[in-house]
Amino acid sequence: MVQSILDAISLGGLYALAALGLGLVFGVMRLVNFAHGELITIAAYTLVLTVQFPLIVSILITVIVTSLVAFLMELTIYRRLRGVNPAIMLIASFGLSTVLQRVYELIFGALPKSAVVAPFLSGAFSIGGLSITISSVITVVLTVIILLAMGYLVERTSLGLQLRAAAADFKTARLLGVRANRLISAAFVLSGILASCVAFILVIQNPEVNPYYGLNITILALVGIVIGGISSLRGAALGGFIVGVILSALNTLLGNGRVYAYSWLFFAVLIILLVKPGGLLSKGNELERV
Amino acid sequence: MKFPGLTRFSLQNLFGPIAVLTILTFFLDRASSSLQLMTQLALCTFMMVLALQVFVGNSGVLSFGHGSFALLGSYVSGMLTAPVNIKSHALALNQLWHFLIPLKTNIYIALIISAVLSALVAGLTGILLMRLSGLASGIATFALLGVTYNIFFNNKQLGPGSQALPAVPTITNTYILLILILIAIFFVYLFNISRSGRSLRATREDPMAAPALGISIFKVRLIAFVFSGLLAGLSGGMYVHVAGTFQVQDYYLDFTFTTLSMLIVGGSASIWGALVGTILITGVGQILLMMEQHLPIFGVTIGIPLGSRAVIIAVTFVAMLLWRSSGITNGREFSLPRFKRS
Repeated sequence: MVQSILDAISLGGLYALAALGLGLVFGVMRLVNFAHGELITIAAYTLVLTVQFPLIVSILITVIVTSLVAFLMELTIYRRLRGVNPAIMLIASFGLSTVLQRVYELIFGALPKSAVVAPFLSGAFSIGGLSITISSVITVVLTVIILLAMGYLVERTSLGLQLRAAAADFKTARLLGVRANRLISAAFVLSGILASCVAFILVIQNPEVNPYYGLNITILALVGIVIGGISSLRGAALGGFIVGVILSALNTLLGNGRVYAYSWLFFAVLIILLVKPGGLLSKGNELERV
Repeated sequence: MKFPGLTRFSLQNLFGPIAVLTILTFFLDRASSSLQLMTQLALCTFMMVLALQVFVGNSGVLSFGHGSFALLGSYVSGMLTAPVNIKSHALALNQLWHFLIPLKTNIYIALIISAVLSALVAGLTGILLMRLSGLASGIATFALLGVTYNIFFNNKQLGPGSQALPAVPTITNTYILLILILIAIFFVYLFNISRSGRSLRATREDPMAAPALGISIFKVRLIAFVFSGLLAGLSGGMYVHVAGTFQVQDYYLDFTFTTLSMLIVGGSASIWGALVGTILITGVGQILLMMEQHLPIFGVTIGIPLGSRAVIIAVTFVAMLLWRSSGITNGREFSLPRFKRS
């Protein structure tokens, strides 16, 4: 029971991190960056392939590589699409996501690459007769730390203020002196860093990295930001968390019927959207055209 | 033309795509057996792109849910025509609900049933989904696809589950498929120039002004959704009778993105755009496939490494969007080039 709750929280936290990465980018340029999953994938590959280095070095390389990919993604593709209909941007990001998947397949091969990253994090310990896996505790702790750090960054720093302002109203923010190019690049780099964090946690749980590694979590995080309310970062994180918790709870409760967990999840999503189309944290009915 | 899409009946708009499609099919059908199969599959895909054009192109609302209707159409048509002994004896299907086993009709009745059922499901889901707009609508339609896929993939009482349903009878004559498509083009064209079609495009251009003119966004979107659900179901049905097997995996993410990208690359606002996108992506894919296999193309052999085909297609797609985000045709319908006198 304790393990189940811990699993639910850790999965929720993980999805919240992924949703936050998507939400940051959406906030500054109304882009649902589907290729975020491929940032997670490249981070996971880097972690697995640099396993011979000390953990800190490996993580550092991963963060740098992933942020660089995110930065270049914006510079080469999305910068040219700025101001285009959001639907087109979404489709373009699907395209980019496919490009990256195929490129990974070409470079790393279709078969999964795996390595045990941070072996001291696997295994279990027991408190009062309850067996608890170390990785779930670490995930919860890590997620909380990262979310707190992100919270500090977004709420207390100048960059965070600009990000929030841009998310609320990009045009007005620009008029008030927010530098668009710099801010958008910063958002992408941040989303790259978040993707590295997500990848680190994922790799501990499942070290088999294939070209489609980040796809599933991205879809679910995407669902999360929409039900949470895409126009605020808090909503995005909350939505991601909810999706993770629901999915984890379904997996525990459904027993043999767990193959249908996704059906129930999507069904819940449909209901939430019909009741609150703007997301759980939305106040009024805003019209957003995608 | 500032806002793409038609208002008046025009012969060249209608017969342009019809002529191009007919001529292409005529030549490709007799070129070689592999090109014939490619043509047949491409015709089925085009039916799907046309279905997307009706809804996505005219309403400007993305739908990831049309894969469900194609899946449903394909499933219904496949199950209604597969031999009874396959359904009762094939290992994978042992758990099938018994009332499904004796059902057996001919291909064309099955196609009609699959189209009608898909339209019905589109209507029922549309009543809920069409209340949403924007990103919420995109995710909700995606949820529809997710639910459909999840159920059909895992439920072995309903159908083959994750396995393939073999021995579905096939349509070997390409022209039967072509005629179905031509009829569909005709009706889509009529819809696009009809009052509903024009109202729907009005809601795409300005979701604030259109209701002010007395247009119910919900109603016009629902009409288009049902019609496009019907076409998507038909496309799935046709596909299953070309491929000869039904497999749930054929109608998931890859299928959805491929058909949507065909529509967007060609130009989503017109039938001509849907056709150009389908021809272009299918054509490029086929040429690259031949290059990968080191086959001669018009007598010239250019080899490319295995696996690079998919990369090139995806890169081309992204480049195309960067170059022209409203599609190659810019959403215009077919028209003959005009020569201006200087």
